[in-house]
Amino acid sequence: MSTNDPEKLEASIHRLLRSLPDRKAPASLEARVLGELSRRAALPWWRKSYAYWPLAARASFVAASALAAALIVSGLFILLRSPGATAFASGVSQHFSWLVLSRELFAAASDRVRAVAAAIPPLWIYGAAGTIALCYATLAAICAATYRTLTFARQNP
Amino acid sequence: MRKYQDMVFTTSARLVKNDAQAEDISQEVFLKAYENFEMLSASPAAGGWLKTVATNLSLNHLQRYRNRWRFFSEFGGGSESGEDDSPGIEFAAPDTFFEGVDAEERRAWVEDALSRLPDHQRIPLVLYHFEDISYDEIASRLGVSLAKVKTDILRARAALAKILSRGGESMATLSH
Repeated sequence: MSTNDPEKLEASIHRLLRSLPDRKAPASLEARVLGELSRRAALPWWRKSYAYWPLAARASFVAASALAAALIVSGLFILLRSPGATAFASGVSQHFSWLVLSRELFAAASDRVRAVAAAIPPLWIYGAAGTIALCYATLAAICAATYRTLTFARQNP
Repeated sequence: MRKYQDMVFTTSARLVKNDAQAEDISQEVFLKAYENFEMLSASPAAGGWLKTVATNLSLNHLQRYRNRWRFFSEFGGGSESGEDDSPGIEFAAPDTFFEGVDAEERRAWVEDALSRLPDHQRIPLVLYHFEDISYDEIASRLGVSLAKVKTDILRARAALAKILSRGGESMATLSH
């Protein structure tokens, strides 16, 4: 029997593939699975994921998290309402005065860059962008061709 | 586990084409099965569940690898196997090659032919013929168009038949 009819070929390939027996799994598979199960079982509960923690531990964790959140929020609230809050805020802001300086430096640098960019003719910018794109495409093409050549050589020695 | 390990390993190995990776995936499948032991132990659909998980994990594995190498390996869109897989050439129907060939030899021969197919043909072919997944679902699982899946499977069948027919001719030559 010979065929170039796609339907006959499909039926024929389907019959052939479905008639194949399963491959034998490696002998090491069962030992690996059992070993991994033993390793996981030997882990203490706090090193397992949260879903595997004992119920009491999970409940305690939720309660402790809620308590910590409540303490932090109320602590901040008390701090902001206290008489020394303004002095505290100015003390903290002194530690971050470098942020203001950085912002000014960044603004000055971007002004300079903008001025230089405005002085460059647009044709130069398009030319440079085109050259970079061309180099990138060439490099990618060389890499792809090399990869395919090496892969083909490995598959068909 | 012993009852299903060959099925799980085979499902994975046919998709990823690498025995070591298939063994890793099979291990992961059985670890997930252990986590769902209560649900699976009494279920008659345990085999189907294991097969589905093996397929999904294998596809996830391939997807990760594919995203990394997609551009390079599919550059130019040619056939990686070097086989001319254009359909329309008359060739013998593949199930006629194996008259008088024992099951293990047939399995090895067809598995070898399958492994020669490029990924973009082998994976949809395996999903369609072994896993009974529809064209639509294969397209959505692999993130490609329905037309590409149909074309790839059609070409994969033709390429497989051609590889097998070449092998059949050489086997016939050897036996005479």
